[in-house]
Parts: sequence; structure tokens; C-alpha cells
Amino acid sequence: MLEHVLILSAYLFCIGIFGLITSRNMVRALMCLELIFNAVNINFITFSNYFDTQQLKGEIFSIFVIAIAAAEAAIGLAIVLVIYRNKNSTRIDQFNLLKW
Amino acid sequence: MNIIELSEPLHEIIFILLEIGLVLGSLGVVLLNNIVYSAFFLGLVFICISILYILLNADFLAAAQILIYVGAVSVLIVFAVMLINKSPSSKIFSSWTIGDSITFISCISIFFFLTITISNTPWYKINLITESKNILEQDLTENIQKIGYFLLTEFLLPFELLSILLLVALIGAIVIARRENIIEIKKSKNLKLKKNLTVF
Repeated sequence: MLEHVLILSAYLFCIGIFGLITSRNMVRALMCLELIFNAVNINFITFSNYFDTQQLKGEIFSIFVIAIAAAEAAIGLAIVLVIYRNKNSTRIDQFNLLKW
Repeated sequence: MNIIELSEPLHEIIFILLEIGLVLGSLGVVLLNNIVYSAFFLGLVFICISILYILLNADFLAAAQILIYVGAVSVLIVFAVMLINKSPSSKIFSSWTIGDSITFISCISIFFFLTITISNTPWYKINLITESKNILEQDLTENIQKIGYFLLTEFLLPFELLSILLLVALIGAIVIARRENIIEIKKSKNLKLKKNLTVF
């Protein structure tokens, strides 16, 4: 069970990184970032369940990760909306506003 | 110890169903060309992960996952997609370039090495050590009670900092996404007045 869950979270992490690098839409990049956060959370909770049933520090840390991921999604989508309003597209490779 | 008492084969069947849902859902998030579909697949992935948390005895985090991710984040993403979405092309899968294949190969190799490392690590030794510790100090409080106790004693400072961070994120998102058109409206009204004056 432990190895299965760890391999599952490794799969989610790898596919999240693949999507984060290759996606051309910025909203899809944010979705893949959420996938990566979820893979990390699964790892934390698995180790906390199997090796630390007394203190549950992994679960507490994953609460913090969830809250920070929610804040990140709110800020990121706000930035996407503003860039869409200014440049009328959400393609990542056209965002060269901050270059130089 | 388990929250839900399930027999071993039923446990296995639920886990295999969750695995199928997670694998297909995350592939759908990454590979589908229409972004609305990938947003809904993301919701499916979040629900599967929360059921996985219930199987891993983390009931509070399963509830938090459903409330925050399914209820807030994926709804927010769908909302942003509806605001932004342009006419999607008719292809189901997006086009494939050389950079994509390089990234694909490197991600596959990362996954391969992670799998080798996971299967080579002797987990049962660590398991034996922790189990002997657990027998020594047996505590009978529940999961949620422990989480609340640790959040308000040992992790009090990070908890308060987290609330400040959420407040900053809320105000920051409003400030970034607000349309600053009050001055522009005044300017356009003045322009219209001038035009009317020139017409008369």
C-alpha cells in the first residue's frame, strides 16, 4: 500500500511538471501547479499515516501547503485576468511584458 | 485504527478504482486541448485525492480537500476559464513539438528513477522502529483533536502567519484584478462633452 501510494504521487508529480513545462495556456499551467501541490500533499499524508501516527506533523504541514496553494491560485488567476485584459491572450510565450 | 473498517479485498478494489481515476484524470488535465474539459478533469482528480486521504486515515484533510480544492480552487479555475476562454480549435489533443518530446522523455526518466528508489528503499525496517515506539507511548485521542492541539500549541506562530498570508492574498488579488476605470470614465465623459459641444 505504501509503495503504491508513493508511486502514484510520483506519477502525479511528473505529469504535473510535464504539463507545467509544455502548456501554452497560463490557466493550464496553474492547474498543473495544483497537481504538483497535491502530489506533495499525498506524500506528506502517507508518511504521516505510516510512520508518525503519534504527532501527525505531516498532516499539519499539508494543511499549510493547502492554504498556501489556495492563496497562490487566487493571486495567479488575478494576474492572468489582468494580463488577458491588457494583451487579449493567455499564451505564456507571448508574455514578454517584464523583459528588460 | 482505521476510520472506516473495510475488508482487505474491498480496500484493494477502491484503491484500484482511485488509481484509474487519478491516472486518467491527470492525463486529461494535461493533454486535452479544450481547457474547460481539463478544468473539470481537475475537479475529478481532486475528488479522487480526497477519497485517497480517507483511505489514509486523514479525515480532517479529506474534508479540507473537498472544501478548499473542489469547492474553491476548481470553481475559481472554471470561473477564470469562462472569463478568458476563446474559441477552441476542433482538435481534441494539442499539437506536439520537439520541446514537448524532450520534456516527455525527461519526465519519464524522473518517474522511472523515483520508482526505482521507492522500490529499493527498505520501508519495513523504518516501520518496525516506529511501531515499537508507538507501542511504548500509546495515546487515545482522536485525529482531529491531535491536529487542533498541535495547531494551537506547537505550530501557533505559523498558523497566525498563515492567516496573515491569506489576508494579504485576498487583498492582493482584489487590488490586482480591479479595473481602474474611474478616471478613464471621467476622461471619456469629458471627451464626449467636448464632442457634443463641437457638434452644436
